[in-house]
Amino acid sequence: MSRSYLAGDLRALRAAGLMSLRQIRRYPTNLMGTIFWPVLLPAVWVLMAQAYSGGGDPDALNAFASRSGTTGVTLFVFVGYLMYMWLSALLWGPGTALRQEQIRGSLEAVFLTPVSRLVPLFGPTLTNIVWIAMDLVVMGVAAWLLFGVVLSVQGMLLALAITIVGVPAMYAMGALFGAGVLRFGEIGPAVQFTRGGLSMLCGITFPIAMLPGWAQATATAMPPTYIVDGMRSALLKSAGPADLLPAAATLLALAVGFAGIAVLVFRWLEASARRSGMLGRY
Amino acid sequence: MDELRAAVAIARKDIRNVSRYRFVVASQVFTPLYQGVLPALLFGASFAVAGRVVGLERTIGTADLAGFIFLGGVMSGLVATAFWAIAMSIRNEMEAGTLEPTWLTPTSREVIVLGRALGGLFWFAFSQIAIFAVGIAFFGLRFRPEIVLALPAVALAIVAMIGIAYLLAAVVLLIKEANFFIDCTNFLFAVASGAAFPVILLPGVFQPIAFALPTTYAMDLIRQAGLGTRPLLDPTLEYVALLVTTAIAYPVGLWAYRRADRRIRRLGTINQY
Repeated sequence: MSRSYLAGDLRALRAAGLMSLRQIRRYPTNLMGTIFWPVLLPAVWVLMAQAYSGGGDPDALNAFASRSGTTGVTLFVFVGYLMYMWLSALLWGPGTALRQEQIRGSLEAVFLTPVSRLVPLFGPTLTNIVWIAMDLVVMGVAAWLLFGVVLSVQGMLLALAITIVGVPAMYAMGALFGAGVLRFGEIGPAVQFTRGGLSMLCGITFPIAMLPGWAQATATAMPPTYIVDGMRSALLKSAGPADLLPAAATLLALAVGFAGIAVLVFRWLEASARRSGMLGRY
Repeated sequence: MDELRAAVAIARKDIRNVSRYRFVVASQVFTPLYQGVLPALLFGASFAVAGRVVGLERTIGTADLAGFIFLGGVMSGLVATAFWAIAMSIRNEMEAGTLEPTWLTPTSREVIVLGRALGGLFWFAFSQIAIFAVGIAFFGLRFRPEIVLALPAVALAIVAMIGIAYLLAAVVLLIKEANFFIDCTNFLFAVASGAAFPVILLPGVFQPIAFALPTTYAMDLIRQAGLGTRPLLDPTLEYVALLVTTAIAYPVGLWAYRRADRRIRRLGTINQY
């Protein structure tokens, strides 16, 4: 019995993913944003770095290196912004999927189907993997063409590996925020705030060493910190697989922790939404 | 006189609308702080040598990182007001289905944009005062007294941006789904004005675009007066350039807006979105 339920859920998950892919295909102009932002946002920060470093003043660059561990400011910024783009996709993803269903008036109908609640939460966001891969390619090409940064093959493979290891933890975080839709409806401002907070905590645009001690301690509990640090180690410091193992293990542990919390919060909020009739309201 | 009353009424309506959503009001202050100012401050400070941002001093003639970033925020805020609060509000009316009734009122179409500009500028001033208060209290933000000399540049930049807002409103009326267009152009306009870094660091092909924008001169004049930065051009020449670009931007914007108005009335597309 449970096996047939699982097979049914997997089919529903696939159908939700296909639905999302079809919607992407229907609005091709939205694809322009996937090239514009991953290129322009980090490029502006690289130019800001040139202003702050006096066009590459050795003293200023050494000061940056003493805080970040590298003088490769361009790649430092691009890797940080890669994580920013993923944070945007993953934090918005599950929540937005539920919110859109709520606004269209179809969330109640979806929740009446016998599929697992994980299907409406994660199914439409499966396509985020496409965006993640696309951001990786677009930003790699932009760093090469605009700033002449050539990435090593081993570095790229290891960066991809640490990303894949980090995906479950990032999805679990996204699910936690997605669940908030069931209680609060419009969670846009909360996601904006969280994304901004994570951007500052996890060393996305500046080295974590710039933060006060309590903020650095908080950053160690956040998956993006390990993904960004792992990618920078692979791409900027020629770290090998063995060097990245501790980060990978921590990411898996955080995935389990965040997923557990997300499931509990989702169940609690769903029960609350059923009682209060929030499913059909927006 | 009636047109002025209508503009004030539109501004009051917009101010009241926004003030009903307290989270939106709070986010007007906090979003620029945590998404722009704070990350830029910490990023800039990571290049500091013995607490002094020597690189910035080499680039613009002052090591006052906080002043550089907060004044950049003023120009970003003004640009965002023109793009989102004024031009994009036409789109919001479209979606709410209230644009057609508004168009049927005896008020001139130009006043509709002007009223929105007044409302937008109220919230712009409110958020800048709050952001500066945070900067002074927590980030050691200090300006030279000469900053008051930059007030004419700010006033001219506001007039120029209202002209740009007319132009953008024309685009919104014609293309309708303008979210991506406004988002991208707002970002590019602020960057090309030198809000984030001096325009001399832009790649060569983009520099003529930067020097064609009134906000580039206004930004430079404000930083010169407030922080004593090295000017891009002779300050008198910058004032002349600001006057000329403003004198071009306003009538061109108004002309484009009137053309767009005529076109949508002729094609009957005002109620489409």
